[in-house]
Amino acid sequence: MTAVVTPGAPAAPPGTPGAERPPGRRPRRRLTPYWLLLPAALWLAVFFVAPLVYQASTSVQTGSLEEGYRVTWHFATYGEVLERYGEHFLRSFGYAAAATALCLLIGYPLAYMIAFRAGRWRNVLLVMVIAPFFTSFLIRTLAWKTILSDGGPVVGALDVLHVLDVTSRLGLTSDDRVLATPLAVVCGLTYNFLPFMILPLYGSLERIDPSLHEAARDLYATPATTFRKVTFPLSLPGVVAGTLLTFIPASGDYINAQLLGSPNTQMVGNAIQKQFLNVLDYPTAAAMSFVLMALILVAVTVYMRRAGTEELV
Amino acid sequence: MTIRLSGLAKEFGDFTAVHPLDLTIPEGSFFALLGASGCGKTTTLRMIAGLEEPTAGSVLLGDDDITALPPHRRPVNTVFQNYALFPHLDVHDNVAFGLRRRGIRSVRKQVDEMLELVELGGMARRRPRQLSGGQQQRVALARALINQPRVLLLDEPLGALDLKLRRQMQLELKRIQTEIGITFVHVTHDQEEAMTMADTVAVMRGGRVEQLAAPAELYENPRTAFVANFLGTSNLLTARVTAADADELRLDASGSPLRLPAARGNGVATDPGGQLLVGVRPEKITVTHGADADGVAAGRNRLDGRIRDASYLGVSTQYLVDTPACPAFAVYRQNTDPDPRLVPGADVVLHWDPAHTFGLDAAQDADAGTGEDAT
Amino acid sequence: MAPPSDTVPPPPRTPSAVPRARRPHPLLAPVRLLRRHAVVVAGTLALAYLLVPNLVVLVFSFNKPAGRFNYEWRTFSTDAWTDPCGVADMCGSLSLSLRIAVLATLGATVLGTLAAFALARYRFRAKGTANALIFLPMAMPEVVMAASLGTLFLNMRVAFGFTTILIAHVMFCLSFVIVAVKARVMSMDPRLEEAARDLYAGPVQTFLRVTLPLAAPGIAAGALLSFALSFDDFIITQFNAGPSTVTFPMFVWGAAQRGTPVQVNVIGTAMFVLAVAIVLVGQVTANHRRRSR
Repeated sequence: MTAVVTPGAPAAPPGTPGAERPPGRRPRRRLTPYWLLLPAALWLAVFFVAPLVYQASTSVQTGSLEEGYRVTWHFATYGEVLERYGEHFLRSFGYAAAATALCLLIGYPLAYMIAFRAGRWRNVLLVMVIAPFFTSFLIRTLAWKTILSDGGPVVGALDVLHVLDVTSRLGLTSDDRVLATPLAVVCGLTYNFLPFMILPLYGSLERIDPSLHEAARDLYATPATTFRKVTFPLSLPGVVAGTLLTFIPASGDYINAQLLGSPNTQMVGNAIQKQFLNVLDYPTAAAMSFVLMALILVAVTVYMRRAGTEELV
Repeated sequence: MTIRLSGLAKEFGDFTAVHPLDLTIPEGSFFALLGASGCGKTTTLRMIAGLEEPTAGSVLLGDDDITALPPHRRPVNTVFQNYALFPHLDVHDNVAFGLRRRGIRSVRKQVDEMLELVELGGMARRRPRQLSGGQQQRVALARALINQPRVLLLDEPLGALDLKLRRQMQLELKRIQTEIGITFVHVTHDQEEAMTMADTVAVMRGGRVEQLAAPAELYENPRTAFVANFLGTSNLLTARVTAADADELRLDASGSPLRLPAARGNGVATDPGGQLLVGVRPEKITVTHGADADGVAAGRNRLDGRIRDASYLGVSTQYLVDTPACPAFAVYRQNTDPDPRLVPGADVVLHWDPAHTFGLDAAQDADAGTGEDAT
Repeated sequence: MAPPSDTVPPPPRTPSAVPRARRPHPLLAPVRLLRRHAVVVAGTLALAYLLVPNLVVLVFSFNKPAGRFNYEWRTFSTDAWTDPCGVADMCGSLSLSLRIAVLATLGATVLGTLAAFALARYRFRAKGTANALIFLPMAMPEVVMAASLGTLFLNMRVAFGFTTILIAHVMFCLSFVIVAVKARVMSMDPRLEEAARDLYAGPVQTFLRVTLPLAAPGIAAGALLSFALSFDDFIITQFNAGPSTVTFPMFVWGAAQRGTPVQVNVIGTAMFVLAVAIVLVGQVTANHRRRSR
């Protein structure tokens, strides 16, 4: 067996056949990602970004549908919007925050159960979480009208347990009924966005090695401390994702407020929808969308920064 | 088929994975590229396979330059690290993949024969996920061999197996290679694996080949401190040349005279007064209790010392002996006739045949290759 | 070999200091059981909260309501089930929704898969921007997207209808497809494609025989999600549909104002049962296949 080696031999001088790179492979490859991305990016640019930009200009336009709109830098629209619909904004964020908190409270045990206690039922339970999606959510929201109907079993039970006394004192219900009250709207929002909380929570819980629980128990942690010091911190990415996925759509929703609420529970979404589809006052609708977007952006940024720097490391 | 690499080099940005490399792998040989992770051995293999484009240089298969050929045009197949079996295909379709890509329609018989060869007869319809590590390994082997490649490349093929299975597969691979007689190029970080299977080993470090030789030659006469330490254990000590003639160097190591055959000096400093590193393997050394020192034959290299530590290893006992020339000299002693006096604190004489001594250039780190990645 | 006694610290614990399990009071057994399974109890209640509306929809699909609204139980009837299309325009809107969902899924899946491969497989300069562009639609309330796209169409004098709905649906489904496919492609072992190239598969063959089958679960997940999102979308559709194009959710919305036919519940229940059945059958056959091999 003979083999020849020259370790550390000088590099082949430029110009020798071996030193040349096979031609024509590199540059073509560099453009490939752009070609692949182009159709989707174009679609989003034209039908998502451009409308947002256009929306911004609409919000400072004046005019009418017949005569056409012109940009007049009419920032007063924003002042009017905040003045007239301030309460709508407050309600939107209040209801959305309450629904998000409830989703977390209700969704966490279920996600935990699926991740750690379900055994071979895990997949079946996951299907059951997603299953409601298959019925149109409008139909399901209408079902809440039946469940919460005046004189129905739910209202009756809440009445007997004096829960309604408490909630009406808090301003959540009135006249011994649940429908057409803030409670019904929050309940509907919670219901509609619960799966958006459960799935990310499950995703992050499922990744936790169960032996970590055993290690914590071994190191003298009670079940409660184990949860507080090990499980919950590790599930934080899921908590953050879940709260965002719940809060953002909930704050822009108008279906629950429309179907389960009353004129006194209207949210920003309702106002935008009315301005756009009924009043046909597009600058106002645009200004409201923009304020909503800006407020959500601020809220999310603050939230992400807090969650990000303190716990998500 | 002979593989010739000439000036083959690979850079990733600023990092040079493989320095220009000239290497000839003869036809029919079992060739191992041995080194710690990141030494460039896998990159070299991938350049032969065509999966990595060389920055410079060329790959020749026989007389054909295949440098510019994409992997699917090269008559070369690879057994990948962790096997890379297609999870969406069963064993049969995995093995048949290469044949079908070359337009061969009736593959049934060939696949069955190949599965028989690797002892996976009844497994044709299983998915890779349902196989054990050893079975997956054999599917990967069958999938490559069925194409009758000119050269088979193996990238850490046994890395994911447990020790016992690895031994078994080492012998199996060697048997298959002898049977079909094609060139195997085998990348591994396991020195034992390389020594058992390969007939030529290239030890790589930092993108360069440190030494290329048959396993016994590598072990008995390493050319660098890295090779001496990476393959097994070596005792290395600094010595000064006192006299030299054509056959032999006379050395002085902290007062102890030593002899080194000139042929084993690896061509390093031979002028009187020059420094060099002297090495000797632990199992070549005899340890004799100080009371019997007079019985040591003349003409042997000898060092006086004191036992610091003794570890009983079953087959042998490992002693760590402090000597003036070198602290913690390692010595293996077969447990054939135990000497009860050899306990920590005992004064001893270490002696060995000068023919087992090797010399190395002193201008290198005597600890190179002893790190934990060198296991 | 006992060390001098003065260096030995006193044993930290006498045997009696080891905590001893207390024998629990038998009457507290149910309380303990509840405490140990608190998570399961709470989880089950949450599941009930999720599923009760579906149950109500099912039950009320057999109702024979007195007035125009189907909110109060009267008598059992199978009328709606025997004549599901007995309501004017409902089945038309259903088929419109299905057509839009299929086309939107197709469009979003093709465009999204291409983009996902670009983002998962290549390094390029505009990657950060592209990722932000894809993330943004998911982090925006639907009304905002709906109103702005609607405003644009309006001012460009684009006639609202089938096309505008389809454009909008592809737009908001895209991000979800990209995320699903990208996750799958990134988790794929690049060595599998190298193995294919090593085994004589050219670029096209490698893509068709290895890459695509391996990415298929991600693509399927993205497509399924698109279909569900598109079929069920109301807000964006309402802003971009115009008066004469009525999708199924828009029909339900209108019905909620004018009177809800029982047939709406029939459709809701049928879709639910069908989808759950498909999932369960898939799960069972997958289990069966895994066991039989």
